Amino acid sequence: MLRNDADAWGAPAKLFHWVMAALILAQIALGVMAASWRMSPTKLDLFFWHKSTGMLILALVALRLLWRLANPTPALPADMAAWERAGARLSHGLLYALMIALPISGWIVNSASNVPFRIFSLIPLPAIVAPDKPTADGVALVHGGLAALFALVLAAHTGAALRHHFVKRNTVLERMLPGTWRTP
Amino acid sequence: MNKIVAFLGLCGLLAFALRPALGADWKMDPAGSKLEFIATFEKTPAPGVFKEFDARLRFDPDKPAGSSLDVTIKVTSADMNIADVNKEIRGKDWFDYAGFPQAEFRSTDLRRTEGNRYVARGTLSLKGVKQQLEVPFTWTGSAGGAVLEGELTVKRGAFGIGTGEWAASNVIGADVKVKFKVKLRKAG
Repeated sequence: MLRNDADAWGAPAKLFHWVMAALILAQIALGVMAASWRMSPTKLDLFFWHKSTGMLILALVALRLLWRLANPTPALPADMAAWERAGARLSHGLLYALMIALPISGWIVNSASNVPFRIFSLIPLPAIVAPDKPTADGVALVHGGLAALFALVLAAHTGAALRHHFVKRNTVLERMLPGTWRTP
Repeated sequence: MNKIVAFLGLCGLLAFALRPALGADWKMDPAGSKLEFIATFEKTPAPGVFKEFDARLRFDPDKPAGSSLDVTIKVTSADMNIADVNKEIRGKDWFDYAGFPQAEFRSTDLRRTEGNRYVARGTLSLKGVKQQLEVPFTWTGSAGGAVLEGELTVKRGAFGIGTGEWAASNVIGADVKVKFKVKLRKAG
């Protein structure tokens, strides 16, 4: 099944979810390591992979949003309280917003610091702001703050998914798992 | 007596006419000159310039034998356009501004290869290392001036630019392209 329906996610939506989940976890680790590593070739390598992965995530999130808009979104369980629905909407909105804002703020830092960069050594990344050290330093702080916010929302998202499965005993978590699971 | 004077005069004239051909002296016009070095970072060109350098040349494009070239480079004027990198390259691992603020290229062996192409064989002294180098260049003359232009590739490792863990070339490449354009005018 490719397309989503009212009850289930199609294979592409699941693939987007789990591939990006893996990339984002790796990305957070790379970012923390790159920022804290002492100046060395390893630090530059960590930044190189962090930047490349970030641009890959930005491209994937654009495709993912298009796919989401072109498909129905499976409905939330009928017994969810209003605050739970609001929480789900808010956290999903924030996750998407941050999946866009984080790569773009990183792109601004890279442009402002004037570091020549090709994504995975292949595709030259054009500058989106003029070189300026204060801009680079300021936006790097914003980037770090957004990353911390992302980690918080990610924890809430994971916690909520586990709560759906183990406490509320509904199918919200299961229906995102790989396979052809269907609502009974 | 007059004959002797005439003879000596003739000898003088002959000596003058037969003196080794010396090319004209040329001085650099800094405004029209540029010395770039292009390193690579993760296989992507990372350009820099030496903002201050000077070239002195004794050169006759038609008779390059007997010419000489002397270039002095203020290493501490290096600018790679990235604040953090500019801070980094001052250190001992890289250019070592404190220990070796100046580099020099001297050549007394300039030859024509073909047309307006020449090569200067000489010694580059950089970061305490002297190495023989062949610098190819083109010569474009104009009224009272000339432009000397060329590029070559040097191995940064040969001069200890990037030592210790930076000697590895997977992040910062081993080859550095040097590009120069020197605008010259006849001196005196």
